[in-house]
Amino acid sequence: MPRLLESVRWAEERIVVDMESRDRTCEIARQSGATVVSTPIAPRVDGIRNNFLEQGKHEWVFVLDSDEYLAADAEWVVRDLIEQHGQRFDAFSIPRYNMIAGQIARCRGWYPDQQIRLFRKGCVRWSDTTHKPPVILTSRKRLHVLEPPGCLHIHHENYASVEQFIERQFRYALNDQYPADGFSFERYVAEAFEEFNYRLDEKNDGELSFALATVMAWDRVIRGLIHWERTGRKDSLSRAYSLPVTTLSRYPDCLFPGDVEELRNRVRLLESVPGAKSMARLVKCFRREHRNMKERLKRMRQRFRR
Amino acid sequence: MSHRLCAVIVSRGLDELLRFCLKNFFESASGLSDQVQVIVADNASARPYTASSFPDSRVRLLRFDTQTGFAAACNRAVQECDAEQLLFLNNDVLLDRSTLVRMMEHCDAPGIGVIGSWLYFPDGRVQHRGVVFGSDDIGPYHLDRGGYLEPRCAFQEFQAVTGACLMVERELFSRIGGFDESYSFGLEDIDFCLRVRQSGRRVICVNAGRPLHFESLTPGRVELDVSSRQLFLQRWRGKYSIDG
Repeated sequence: MPRLLESVRWAEERIVVDMESRDRTCEIARQSGATVVSTPIAPRVDGIRNNFLEQGKHEWVFVLDSDEYLAADAEWVVRDLIEQHGQRFDAFSIPRYNMIAGQIARCRGWYPDQQIRLFRKGCVRWSDTTHKPPVILTSRKRLHVLEPPGCLHIHHENYASVEQFIERQFRYALNDQYPADGFSFERYVAEAFEEFNYRLDEKNDGELSFALATVMAWDRVIRGLIHWERTGRKDSLSRAYSLPVTTLSRYPDCLFPGDVEELRNRVRLLESVPGAKSMARLVKCFRREHRNMKERLKRMRQRFRR
Repeated sequence: MSHRLCAVIVSRGLDELLRFCLKNFFESASGLSDQVQVIVADNASARPYTASSFPDSRVRLLRFDTQTGFAAACNRAVQECDAEQLLFLNNDVLLDRSTLVRMMEHCDAPGIGVIGSWLYFPDGRVQHRGVVFGSDDIGPYHLDRGGYLEPRCAFQEFQAVTGACLMVERELFSRIGGFDESYSFGLEDIDFCLRVRQSGRRVICVNAGRPLHFESLTPGRVELDVSSRQLFLQRWRGKYSIDG
């Protein structure tokens, strides 16, 4: 908190929304000259912001979380942004550096991690979620996206350790809302594969990349299980492991390593030509080419015969 | 806690070189009896420096998201420190063990405002031993740059020294308004030294061991020199002595 408050000392007005903190948050905030307002603790923080956006007396609002801060040159960069683009745009999307376990993550998904945080009052609204982007109420065209490098960033010290990261992901998954219908555990499992391949970036993040990619893949599976239970355990889970792919990619622009991508293509083909013979042929063919996936294919075949 | 000396290092990328720079600085500072601190101004490195990269508690990071001129970054960094003496140091300067002790010996000498140091290229040639001024468009340049020379005296007075390794009293720095931020990159140090002399204080360059200066390793640095040079000559031509 002290670092955050210090980094925005230049702002005309600073409002700290306290969610029943039991530490010295309120005291530190008041000492630094910020206005403190209180709200009951809530499982999802995004929507809470909406209640306080109107309390500021000024035209432009910059929203930051308590584990974030801005750089030393933020004052003149923000003033310059508003002066230069404030007429044409209502909101700015700002890239964010995420520091995880002492390292700034640079892989996809963690960087540039665009955040809509600087906007004209009344033009942006969040939903009752956790870590989801808000809606621009005027028009998406009124959003100006800052392109790194060399631009304003939000600095986010997310997690001190991998253990803390796991703990937090678990909490987010439990506190999130899940749709009442449309459950598909296959999709969650497939997204786990995608998530792993999407996040893995050894060149930029080294060994930590494996840890983060694994946790994010695991997060999809855990969410699937929570969703399954909350929708009354109606659907079968075992089916997911017979076909670990999805037909819809969350990341359509990304290339995935050979095996998974290849398998996905085959399934697309299968969908367009359904039928026992084509499935058998595809599986047999795939098995010949990918001997290392023998066990998985065996399960697929068993499932198919049944 | 008040410190005797604060080093201000404006740096962009080159993490490993900066680590060596800091290591050498602290080794050199171990010869001093007083506490030192370092402010590293991270000048928009593509991958920001983190506290874990420089675990020494005496190092404080000051991040700039957009590339900021050397003068502005230094002036901003100085606001963060409380030391009596400031040392402006480039990230590609590796101090010698004796450098800081020898420079600090002159801090309290009456009339001295700025203290620079002899700097050497890695092959042993002189990179800097004081700045002299040529006539017409020549302007300021490093005396004997690239020569194989040995110092003949403990220190020598000049009109200016390089900002790559420049020591100045904090009070004096603030009084004359710090570095002039009109310079994009380069010659703000020479401008500063001339203003120090205008205020009645002297500028010296000391023989302080064999500190190394790799010189202009940061990408994109050299291109900015041209506009700075034009500004400098426009402002100072005819106001310095021709001694080179």
